[in-house]
Amino acid sequence: MTVERNPLSDKELWQRLATDQDVAPAAVSDMDFAAWLEGRLSETAAARIEAAVAADPALRRAALDLADILGKPLPEAPARMAVRAQALVGFEAERQARRGGWLVEFLSWGATLGVPRAAMVTAAVLVAASGFMLGGGLGQSYAQQKYVVASNQATENSSELTALYTTDGI
Amino acid sequence: MTDLNQIDLQALKAGSKRTWDAFVVASTPLINAVARRTLSAYRLSEEDIMDAAQDVYVRLCANEFRLLKTYDPTRAGLSTWLAVVARSTAVDYARRRRQATSPIDDVPETALAVEDRHVEKLRIPEGLLTERQTLILKYLYDEERDVGEIADLLKIDAQTVRSTHHKALLRLREHFREEDPESAKKRG
Repeated sequence: MTVERNPLSDKELWQRLATDQDVAPAAVSDMDFAAWLEGRLSETAAARIEAAVAADPALRRAALDLADILGKPLPEAPARMAVRAQALVGFEAERQARRGGWLVEFLSWGATLGVPRAAMVTAAVLVAASGFMLGGGLGQSYAQQKYVVASNQATENSSELTALYTTDGI
Repeated sequence: MTDLNQIDLQALKAGSKRTWDAFVVASTPLINAVARRTLSAYRLSEEDIMDAAQDVYVRLCANEFRLLKTYDPTRAGLSTWLAVVARSTAVDYARRRRQATSPIDDVPETALAVEDRHVEKLRIPEGLLTERQTLILKYLYDEERDVGEIADLLKIDAQTVRSTHHKALLRLREHFREEDPESAKKRG
């Protein structure tokens, strides 16, 4: 006598299977998860994220919740939330950023044009060096300084002598 | 009101106060929604939601906007990335506060089921199902979600979800030599 077993439904079959993995999948970064949610990953990269999401109930729920929230218009947040958050950044943050000086601003300007930082630094050095050479360089500058000091000294001495002769009636 | 997509990211990362303020106004609806949804499972108060949201902004601007500087616009939209960051921050906040509790009606039946230890579960061999097939089956049976929700999440159409589900079940039945009920009816 054979006993025919009732075939399992899809759900019953699934429930009979051990679906937990032996090895936990690699952690998913926020950036990777966001890219996966937007469907921007390659098939291979998406497969890695999907394995991680499949293995983690919390991540599965997170994916559904975020997809739901991102897909619809959102109510206004309490005004206090924005006020508290805005207070985190003051004008001090801008001043600190500017403390880098003209070189930082020059490099930032170059970055907006897509010019590599190394090229910008080289350009800055060349501009500074050219300006210096046009001005005569160190040697000439030093000589000029010495001339100025010497001529000032000579003028002072001459004035003293003149004063000396004048007061003595010579 | 500025849209998040209109925020000047360079100015924001440079610490511009005006840009930060505009960014906050543009992002609070999203951060608020994510914090509330995440913390709903933890039964925390309104003040906790406010604090969790503030934690998100603290993370974003801390250490000269270090986290914000990791955002890559070529990989995902700012809203999506912010939502993911907000969620993980809210979860961290909740764990620091208390254990998660869920109303029993919100928990899928499969999670509540008592395991019958007399029935040994069959292991699915590695490579039998693709990652996507496994994910869809988990959403359908472990999370008890419908085809439409899964299709929206995976950015595919509902028919593709059904077809992927069907192929996965065929593979499982073939491997475990389980006849499906429809075939059994036709045979019988």
